[in-house]
Amino acid sequence: MKSIRIYLLLALIATITLVNFVSLLHGYQASMEKAQNLFDARLESTARLIASANSAQVADQNIAEQQTPNTYFQIWGSGGQQLLTRSRNAPDEIIGQLDEGFHEVNHASYRWRNYVYQDRHLNRWVVVAERIDIRYSLAEEVVLESLLPIVMAIPLSALIIWLAVGVGLKPLSVLAQQIRHKKVDDLSPIKMERVPKELTTVVNNTNALLIRLHDAFSREQRFSADAAHELRTPISVLKVHLHNLKQRFGDTDEDIALLKTGVERMGHLIEQILALYRTSPDQAAVKFEDIDLTKLVQSVVARDFEQFERKQQRIELDGEKILIKGNQFALETLVQNLLSNASKYTPEHGDIYVSISSKLGEALLQIEDSGPGIPTDMHERVFERFYRLHGDQHASDIIGCGLGLTIVKDIAAMHQAEIELGTSRFKQGLRVSVRFRLEEKK
Amino acid sequence: MRYALLIIALCLSITPVFAGPPVFTLEIKEHLFFPDEITIPANTKVKLHVKNLDATAEEFESYELNREKVIAGNSEAIIFIGPLDKGVYPFFGEFFPKTAQGKVIVE
Amino acid sequence: MLLNAVIITLREVLEASLIISVFLALSQLLERKLSWLLLAMFVGAVGGFVYGQNLGAVSMAWDGMGQELVNAGLHLLIFLSLLVFMTSVPHQHKKRWRIVTLIATITAVVVAITREGSEIILYLSGAMSIPNMLLPVLIGSIVGAGIGISVGIYFYYLLINMRLKYGMWLGYLFLLLVAGSMISQAVEFLIQADFIHAGKPLWDSSNLISERSVIGQLLYALVGYEATPAPIQVVAYVSSIAIIAVATVISYQFRTPPHDD
Repeated sequence: MKSIRIYLLLALIATITLVNFVSLLHGYQASMEKAQNLFDARLESTARLIASANSAQVADQNIAEQQTPNTYFQIWGSGGQQLLTRSRNAPDEIIGQLDEGFHEVNHASYRWRNYVYQDRHLNRWVVVAERIDIRYSLAEEVVLESLLPIVMAIPLSALIIWLAVGVGLKPLSVLAQQIRHKKVDDLSPIKMERVPKELTTVVNNTNALLIRLHDAFSREQRFSADAAHELRTPISVLKVHLHNLKQRFGDTDEDIALLKTGVERMGHLIEQILALYRTSPDQAAVKFEDIDLTKLVQSVVARDFEQFERKQQRIELDGEKILIKGNQFALETLVQNLLSNASKYTPEHGDIYVSISSKLGEALLQIEDSGPGIPTDMHERVFERFYRLHGDQHASDIIGCGLGLTIVKDIAAMHQAEIELGTSRFKQGLRVSVRFRLEEKK
Repeated sequence: MRYALLIIALCLSITPVFAGPPVFTLEIKEHLFFPDEITIPANTKVKLHVKNLDATAEEFESYELNREKVIAGNSEAIIFIGPLDKGVYPFFGEFFPKTAQGKVIVE
Repeated sequence: MLLNAVIITLREVLEASLIISVFLALSQLLERKLSWLLLAMFVGAVGGFVYGQNLGAVSMAWDGMGQELVNAGLHLLIFLSLLVFMTSVPHQHKKRWRIVTLIATITAVVVAITREGSEIILYLSGAMSIPNMLLPVLIGSIVGAGIGISVGIYFYYLLINMRLKYGMWLGYLFLLLVAGSMISQAVEFLIQADFIHAGKPLWDSSNLISERSVIGQLLYALVGYEATPAPIQVVAYVSSIAIIAVATVISYQFRTPPHDD
């Protein structure tokens, strides 16, 4: 059962056809029977009429020429021994038997229904016959006139049912369309006018579910953001105390160095969590403006140049002026995350290549590193929150919390951009491509 | 009666080249069977030679004889019937049953 | 004339439409594509036309027994297709068997429509060439076809809306009866062709259900009902059903556990 509409159409048409056609057959049979009875009655009265009109007992070849070719009569005298008279088209022998009542016989290439009337007063037989095929077509002609509309009505009802069922199922398709066109992150309730009774439960329950989901999401968001925000202060305090400790015990203490790394990692995590919730795609009312992508990348590279310098990495930027619609802060975060990933995983003296180009209505930002790369089967997973390649065995000297790419993905979704992971132009390494849709020029 | 004579004539005209079953000829003309009654001997297999002289096809059908055979327009067909018990076995033309009616009388 | 047109069309259309609806439903249940069946229906219609046009020549072949032999052959072919279909269904997880099932389905549908269609086409083309018969025959055949197709649609939706297990069983049961009826009809044609000796009818139920009655005609179309069947017909009917049933059960027993191939 693939389509309710087709099912309803076929089932209804089948029902209408069956009911109509069976009653049509019934009506046909009844009418035909009535007609035959009428014809028989007429045949019988004709026989009596002929009998009383031709009361002469002698053979007379000259009477009754007026019979149509569709009927004939014979009058047999002396108990059926002698043909007294007949219509011109009648045979001069007895067809069938001289047995009072109705019979069917073949004569002159036609099948006839005859009525044999025994005239007991004059001891003679009157045979009147009619062509059966003519009787039938006469009766049928009349009956068919009344049946034709029933047959013609079927395709018409099919059309009307098709349209009516379509109208009846419209709320369902409206609902389906609403749900289909809902953006992934759109948790607003379904709006539908005049919801039919059958769909009320579906719409109400779906809306209740959407509201619950929305509340759960915002609760989670608020909690994480608040928690991260609240953690900022103690971290800052920790950093101050750490600074003081360093002053007191010097730079060489191993424990203090480890503590410093730990605090730095925690601070990084909190900053990332805050960035994540600032850039979540369902964050409403994000300000979008025209942004020159190349200029933005340049500024981020300049701002964070220290990280490349520290590892003595070569970074090359290749791009032209391309304007995209976007949010300045979010895009900065995206580029910053991708660049810091590239720098983190590229070994010292490695290469990083950044290119910005546009073609076919797309702006393409590519960042390629010469690090170890990511196996293809992991490409989906690295975007998951807190997922880190190789889990705990992750090179411990690289600070990270597994949120970077999640944030990148969220920002990309916010800009309706697509992210693709691939292999870089260098011997090994990762290439991250972000495609932004350019607005069509009108 | 004329037809009975015709059948006898036809029967006689079949020279006994092979000792096959007796042959009866049945014509279909204007959607009628000629003759519309065939008398055959009991407990004997007979061969019906049906000639359709109409342009339209006809289906020889008999529930009592358990026979059904479509005979195309202007063509002939052969139908074996029997051996049968004494009795009357109606047959009809399925395509024009109002007119094409007949019976086999087994004696 | 109308009633006659209804009976002829209904008898042939009903049989074909029920067979097709069972195959359509079973392919839905087996999650098969339907486009093949539509193609098979079309090929069958063309086949029916060609067979009808050449029936005169076919009839006179083989000492005038051509029609009987061809019809017996067609019925036998449908029976074999049903046998192959029902024994191959348990092995649907193997591609080779799926193709076998598909071929059996297509053969059965093509042959069934060729056989039933040729009679309708001969009847309609003859009857409609007579001017005052055009309308009654047209209406009659529309009514007959309409009833036949409607019953087919009902049967189809009945099968696919039942629980999968029951739907399959009902479809199987119907195909079993059709298979028996096919063999019984094939035997009847061979008797008519004088290849098999008929013998005295095993019973005479024409007083109970006449083959002339509507119920008799329906039963004939559905399960091959005969009021006065020859003993060998009954034997063939029962044993053909037994053969398919046993073959299907054996095929189920030898079913290998599903795995990818």
